[in-house]
Amino acid sequence: MDQQLKSDFPVDWEEDHYVSRREFVKFMTLASGGLAVGTAGLAVWAHTPRDHRTFEAALIAKVADVPVGQALAFSYPQPRDLCILVHSREGEFRAYSRRCTHLSCPVEFQPEHHRLYCPCHNGAFSLEDGHVLQGPPPRPLPEIMLEIRGDEIHAVGVKKAEA
Amino acid sequence: MKRTPVQFRRAQRATAFLGLMMFNLVLVVIQLWMFVGVLESLLDGRTTMAIPAAIGSFVILGINSWMLVGIYRMERLG
Repeated sequence: MDQQLKSDFPVDWEEDHYVSRREFVKFMTLASGGLAVGTAGLAVWAHTPRDHRTFEAALIAKVADVPVGQALAFSYPQPRDLCILVHSREGEFRAYSRRCTHLSCPVEFQPEHHRLYCPCHNGAFSLEDGHVLQGPPPRPLPEIMLEIRGDEIHAVGVKKAEA
Repeated sequence: MKRTPVQFRRAQRATAFLGLMMFNLVLVVIQLWMFVGVLESLLDGRTTMAIPAAIGSFVILGINSWMLVGIYRMERLG
């Protein structure tokens, strides 16, 4: 232990171990390889299809429970994932994550403007595809994929939109 | 004091080596910058930068490897 310490931290400069120039270039090339593999890994991860994630279908509401121009809050796929179902036009249901992509404030339906609105920083999202209409949100709202089965509305998946 | 041709060649080689090392360092810093940039853009939900950065990173790795091989060859030749 003591010998090791003396060897690692010698008193005389001549006894110190220097990193040779070749060792330095070797180390840098190794680091370069690591970074290249890491960046390639990120690229693969980025292009792995995850846009349409399907989860177990969940019953949200009956068609009659949400009249035209009304909205309903629900959770999908986990109880903590707040969402909003909007009956914008006759027979046209849309559902989005309720969490604003800016700072996660809950968005609310504004029927008079036909949009989803975040009151925290005046952000607004389109009802058609969830894209940002105004304000600071950097990304569209993730869309909840719906299926109408008879008179029931079921959530079947989450579609994450690109920025 | 006049240097002999051998000493002169040695000094020249040392300067070239130092230049190579600095170039190597700059390339690795660029790679690091690209890696962090890709990571940040992915966390922000953008994926367009990932593939060009990966290609660029492998090009830099190629240059670095080529330099390392060149250094070994230079040492072998003396």
